[in-house]
Amino acid sequence: VVDQIRLWQIEGERMKSTVGFLFKDFLSAAEYEGLCQYAGDIGVLKWKNDAKRMFFVTRHEQVAAYLKSQKEKRREGG
Amino acid sequence: MPKAVKGVLVECDPSIKAIILKIDHDKHDYIVEDLDDQHLVIKESQLPRLKERLEEVLADTQQMPDESGSD
Repeated sequence: VVDQIRLWQIEGERMKSTVGFLFKDFLSAAEYEGLCQYAGDIGVLKWKNDAKRMFFVTRHEQVAAYLKSQKEKRREGG
Repeated sequence: MPKAVKGVLVECDPSIKAIILKIDHDKHDYIVEDLDDQHLVIKESQLPRLKERLEEVLADTQQMPDESGSD
């Protein structure tokens, strides 16, 4: 049992897990950058990779709403 | 249209990540996306099982030097 606790502690130090959402498959750099920037601004961004156009957020509701509003704005603009 | 995939972001050092990749290799049942040297996304439902498997592997690798070193 002591061994198990010790191992658990080692593992706990070495491995950190965060529940959330991975955003991927962006068609344009502009769309990725805009959304990633927004996620950072509202403090939900945990990880990002510009080359892969992927980022991980702790909450997705606001990010998804922002994405939708951007799309609508674009549509209205023509 | 970008996609949002639910999962667990795992941050660990490359040696632990290598073990996770090896565990996943059997059935490809844990990893959603391999991100970089120290990050990957796994299925939320599989997190407890992955931790168990990781513990087993760590226990195996740590018993060997202990056994040879103690006597």
